[in-house]
Formats: sequence, structure tokens, C-alpha cells
Amino acid sequence: MTHVVIENCRDCRFTDCVASCPVSCFHVDELRAYIDPQTCIDCGACIPACPVHAIVEEFDLSDEQRHWLDVNAEAARRYPAIRGKLPALPTAAAKRASLGY
Amino acid sequence: MPTTHAGDPLVFKGGCPQDCPDTCAMVYTVDNGKLVSVRGAPEHPITRGGLCVKLKDFAQHHYNPDRILYPQRRVGPKGSGQYERISWEEAMTTIATRWKDIIATHGSQAILNCCYLGNQGVLNGLTSGDAFFNRLGATVSEKTFCASGSSTGYLMTVGPTGGVDPESFVHSRYIIIWGLNTLSTNLHQWPIYLEAKARGAKIVVIDPQRSRTAKAADWHVRPKVGTDAALALGMMNVLITEGLVDQDYIDRYTHGYDELKERVLRDYSVGRVAEITGLPVADIQTLAREFASAQPAVIRMGVALERNRNGGQSIRAVAMLPALVGAWRHVGGGLLEMPLWEFPLKYDDMCRPDFIRPGTRVANLTRLGHCIDTFVDPPIKSLFVNNSNPVSQAGESSKLEGHLRREDLFLVVSELFVTDTAKYADILLPATMQAEQMEVMLAWGHYYLTFNEKAIEPPGECVPNSELFRRLARAMGFDDDYWKRTDEEMLESFIDWTSPKLAGWSMQRLRDVGYVSLAEGGTDTRKPHAEGNFPTPTGKCELRTTQADKGNFVVPVWRSMYNEMQSAEPVDPLPYWQPMYECAETNPALAARFPLNIISPKPHAFLNSQYANETIQQQRQGPQTVTLHPQDAKHRGIEAGEMVRVFNDRGSFRGSAVVSDDTLPGLIVAPLGYWHEFNHGSAVNAISSSEHSNLGHAPSFSDNLVEVERMA
Repeated sequence: MTHVVIENCRDCRFTDCVASCPVSCFHVDELRAYIDPQTCIDCGACIPACPVHAIVEEFDLSDEQRHWLDVNAEAARRYPAIRGKLPALPTAAAKRASLGY
Repeated sequence: MPTTHAGDPLVFKGGCPQDCPDTCAMVYTVDNGKLVSVRGAPEHPITRGGLCVKLKDFAQHHYNPDRILYPQRRVGPKGSGQYERISWEEAMTTIATRWKDIIATHGSQAILNCCYLGNQGVLNGLTSGDAFFNRLGATVSEKTFCASGSSTGYLMTVGPTGGVDPESFVHSRYIIIWGLNTLSTNLHQWPIYLEAKARGAKIVVIDPQRSRTAKAADWHVRPKVGTDAALALGMMNVLITEGLVDQDYIDRYTHGYDELKERVLRDYSVGRVAEITGLPVADIQTLAREFASAQPAVIRMGVALERNRNGGQSIRAVAMLPALVGAWRHVGGGLLEMPLWEFPLKYDDMCRPDFIRPGTRVANLTRLGHCIDTFVDPPIKSLFVNNSNPVSQAGESSKLEGHLRREDLFLVVSELFVTDTAKYADILLPATMQAEQMEVMLAWGHYYLTFNEKAIEPPGECVPNSELFRRLARAMGFDDDYWKRTDEEMLESFIDWTSPKLAGWSMQRLRDVGYVSLAEGGTDTRKPHAEGNFPTPTGKCELRTTQADKGNFVVPVWRSMYNEMQSAEPVDPLPYWQPMYECAETNPALAARFPLNIISPKPHAFLNSQYANETIQQQRQGPQTVTLHPQDAKHRGIEAGEMVRVFNDRGSFRGSAVVSDDTLPGLIVAPLGYWHEFNHGSAVNAISSSEHSNLGHAPSFSDNLVEVERMA
């Protein structure tokens, strides 16, 4: 089992999830965050931390969202892990508003 | 008290009830009387806003439709699960009538309480029934499921000290996690290790299996199961022969070094220890050298160390290492076992050992089936189970189940759910879940005392253990003041508010703030044993214990504060290693029939057997697995994913084969906690023996031989 970061994170990258993660399983690129499924221990502490509801437990994914499993796993190999919260992206407020949160 | 804003949901302070070192501070959110969420308290230095996979759906767990909501009486055969609702009054009358009859015929010691840490509260936890059963004159139960062997070994070595504050580990430069899967069972300590690592610490895990934690460590050291004492003694050999000890610290603050040194040099050469542990000589040397040189060095001891024949002496040997290298001189250097020792709780007032009649016998609960089997004068005629599930957690579970099916064994179970044990009950009583009761939580993995506010009304007719025993006391005609107090009054008197650790604190302040740290000295300055001050008879770290004369004992907190009728087997005052009970060297005939050792680690998504009845947790945990090393699997023609049967003369269980070198050759791994009804009618403790480790009556759950076969 794992948790995955879905589309909502793109252009926000609030990274409150990172501060809540006890195992530092988050990786980021310039647009968004990803979860390393090998490191995630399923505690779910990140889910309520995300202001845009971008984190979903594996078995709560809809069929259309399941491709995020591979996206997260691959990106986690490619991009560096981070331990602390980063400033949100300049586009975050607009994206959040567009998502209705 | 709840924080309220007009129209908003109510927010209450909670404390996690589970038997876990982390004891999280929680936040209950209640909307219209319904618990809608339970989260980790964001400001708490250990909890840091997150709970864990087990507690993820804790709010919904309160509303699980399978909760026992009313007292019930068995109407079908034992184990059939056929019950009818009765009133509390009828339940109490039935129990009191049966017990009075048993007492008249067999004496009060024919009654036994089986209670453990299904709830870890001061009021409703380990000791919740002690005063009642002591007053009743029941056989005293010895509750040694977890950490009792560690307790005896630890107290014989360093005394009842809390050791290193877990928050001080950020200052450590060398962290050995010995026999503990932090990521599954001590999660909230991990971010502290990561911070230490960011500051330059090396994290070493010692564990035969490649656990989640071992995979995340800088170095995984994999001794054979049951050889930890030998490894520690081998490390000592390196420290002594290479002049890496802190002789000044040893001279000032340890007792018995010369005798220890003589034994270590005589019996535990690195070559012999390499043979015993299966580790390369170079690894033992490196471990010892790094531990000595990379100060502050610290050891986090796990309970797994105690679960084999060598258990208590393993704890002793490991607990000596920090003193030998002077690690205690530094902030973040030394040892962490259980800060519980420093909690200012008035156990005698909680347990009332003064009620116990002289000569009362003792039954060890980890071998409950064996005790019921062998106790004859009088036989056990009634068992009262609360906060525990012995069919899942005690050794020889098949033998125990045989007894629980007996019509003449009157079984009363107070529970949340109809567990593998509760299904045999004659009378079922409905227990509250944590948000439904007031409680103060003790902790054994950190220094915080945590208040848990009652946030919602209990469903149906559920009551906390405190109220359960008030009702039982009334039914039995006990007129003592003990049971005339409210929960608040009991908590007030069970906690020693005059302790310097609670200076400036009161119940009201604890309730307002939610938690208080009992660690004296700051996280960044605390060095509890920089100058000795060990709470032992000599005031020193006792390499040769001065407590061997009285023989083996269980620390009274694990036996209702009763200190009579201790088993007092002879104790070697110096640590040693010997081959496990169940291995080819000790018992070749048994090993010929059952050639594999087995360990049964704690599951990731269950808390022992708790939460293992939740479908969502079953999904998160996955089905029962049996991990075999590839060469053991090949030898038996077992392929990954096949159903296998694990068995010995005591019993059997089934699981899905995992073929992986995550385990060592000759050792299989099967997580604990699966409910029999969801697991082909059995689980791992069906194969476990009733033997104890060499100190403190720890169960030898990691010292069992089995065979594995593919299901037809």
C-alpha cells in the first residue's frame, strides 16, 4: 500500500505534507510533489495537511487516478527527497481557488 | 475542557490508548455528539500532528457496527457466538452468584483475571482490575506479555531510570536500534532519528530480519535469532582487547567490571561470537569500534531482545555497553528502554497489594493454557478477561482454546468486539473506547503524561473499566472506599502530584494543557548518568548485579504489586549466552522434525490483534504472510504466493508464502495479530511454547521450532 499525490498538487506545491511526514517520503520537482511508495508507511498524516486535497490513499484512487501510482513511483526515483516545507509556488493561490478550496 | 466557538464542532484533547511507545496526544473533533475525526496534536513534540496507520480511522472505529453494546449471555455452545442481551443488573448478579459458588466450593484462588494493556491508561489499563481481584482473593496474575523480561534485566543493571530522553536523540552521533522495527512500532521516534542523521548521525539496526526500519538504516547488522547477548558480549571483547573502554567511567560508575572482563575474555572471543551470531568478525569489530568512538552513542532497545531463552541476560548485556564506553557522559548518549520507570504513579494505591492474602499463588498469563492445565488445588474455575485477548497473545493458544471450550470454566469477557477469546465467553460485557472515557495515559516510549478527555457519550451500555469494577465490587458486596470514588477522584489519588517532576502541575492544569513532560533537565542538556547516579543498590551500573541473590523475579508492577511467591530460579550475576531452547544444538530430535525457527513480529497495520477486525486495516496489512528464505523455500518446493501450513506439535496456522532473503536461512517470519476467524481458524501463537526467557518470565515467542509445508 502507499499514498499518492494526484493532479491537484500541480502549480500549488504547498508542501505542508512534507512537514507532517515522519519518514521523509516526499520528493519534488519545480511544479509539484510526489510520494516514494517504497518509503511511505501509510500513516496518512499528510492527507489532512494538504490544503488542496492532493493526497489519496492507494485504494481510494478512482480508475482515472490510478496512473498516479506509476507517476509518483517514477518521479520519486528521479527527483530529490525533501525534509522541510518549501514556500508555495506563486501560482498556488490561483490554483487553489480554481479547485474550490 | 473543550474549546468552543458558537456553531463550530467541539474539540477535545485526547491521548492514544494503545500499547505503543509513542502514546500520541490526539485531537478529537465532535460534531452534534458524533466523533468526526481523531488527529495527532500538532504542537506535541513527539506526536507532531500525525498518528499512524493503525489509528488512521480511529473515529470510525468507535462506530464499528460489531461493537459489543450491551451485556450478553451465551445461549449456544461455547464459541458459537450465540448470545442474548441481558441487563447489567442480571449480568452482575449472574457473575456474583457463580463466583460466590466457586469460592464456596473451591476457594477464591479458583478465579483468575487476565488483563493486559489493551488500554494503557492509569485508570482503565494494566492495573484496572488489580484492586478488585486482590480484594476477591483471586490467584494473582503475572502479566509478562511484553517488557517484563526487559524490566528485570534492566533493573538488575541500571535500575529504574528512564534513561536517555527520546528527544535528546537529536544530539546522538551513533544510534543503534536493537531489536525494534521503529517504522512499524515506534514511528514518532523516527523523525528524531532523521534529524540526528541530518546532523551527522549513523543509524544502525540490529535485527535478523530485514524490516522496514532495517531497510531505512545506514547499516543493517543481522545476527541469528536469539544471539543478541552473544553479540553484545563479543562487542565487549573488542572494546576491552582494543582498549576502547572508558576506564575512568568504569572505575567510578560501574560495579563488577573485573569479573565481567574475565568472563568476556574467557568465553566470548570475537571468533566464537562470529560463529554464534553468524556475523563476520569484521562486522563485530566495526560495530564495537564505531560505538566506542562516535560519541554520543546511544542504544534504543526493543522488546524483541527478550523473546528467547537468553532474553533477560541479553537485555543486561546490551544495557552495559553505554557505560563501558562512557556514552552516558554526553547529551544523547546512553540507553533508552522505558521512561515509564520515572512516571510518578502510586501503584500501591492503584493495585492495593495489601488486599492480597498471604500465600496467594501466581499464574503467568503468557502461559495461560498451561496454567489452567496444571493448576489443581484449586483448579481454575473462572477466568475474567479484560484489556486482553489471550487466544491471540499467549503461547500454546490451541491448548488455551481447548480450556475455553470447557463448560465448567466460567468465562467473563469485557470487550469492544467479539474477539478470538471473547467468542468463548459465558457473559460478555460492553467496554468503552477511548473517546468515550476520561483517562490519563502513561507512556513507555517518551516522558509525557497525557490527559484524555471524554469527548462523546458511550454507545449502548458500554462502561469504562473503572465503572465495571465499581459494579462488580457492589455485586460482590465490597464496601471499601476504593470503589466509592469517581474517575476524577481516582486519577487525583493515583498520580503523585507532590513529585518534583510535577512541580507546578495539578489535575486541572494537566486537563487544560493536555500533556506534561516528566523529564527533568532540558532535552538539550539532559545527561542523567554523566556521573553515575544509577538507581541501583550500589548506585552504579551493575555489570555484576547485586540483585542475583534473591533469584529470578518479575517486577511487581507486572503482578499487581505482589512481591511474594516469586519463582526465584537461580540467576547468574554476570551476563551470558546459551543456545536457545528450541534449536539443533539444544534439542536435535526436535530440530530434526521441525527444522525452522520462527519469529512473529508486530504487524504494521494492527496493534497486536486490535484493528485486525477492520476490513480497511486488513487491506492495509495484507493477508497473513510466512516469509521463507529462498533456500528453505526451494528445499520444500514452495513458491511465492502459495498457501503454506506452519506447524509443530503444539499447533498450526496457515499463510501465504513470501520467498525472500529479507529473512535469514533457517528462520521464517510471520506477523502476529491476525484474528482466527479471518485467518483459516488459527494464528501464529498456535505454535508458540509456554517457556519463559531467563529473566522476568518474558515469553519465548522467538524461540520456537516449526516445519512449513505447501498446502495440498
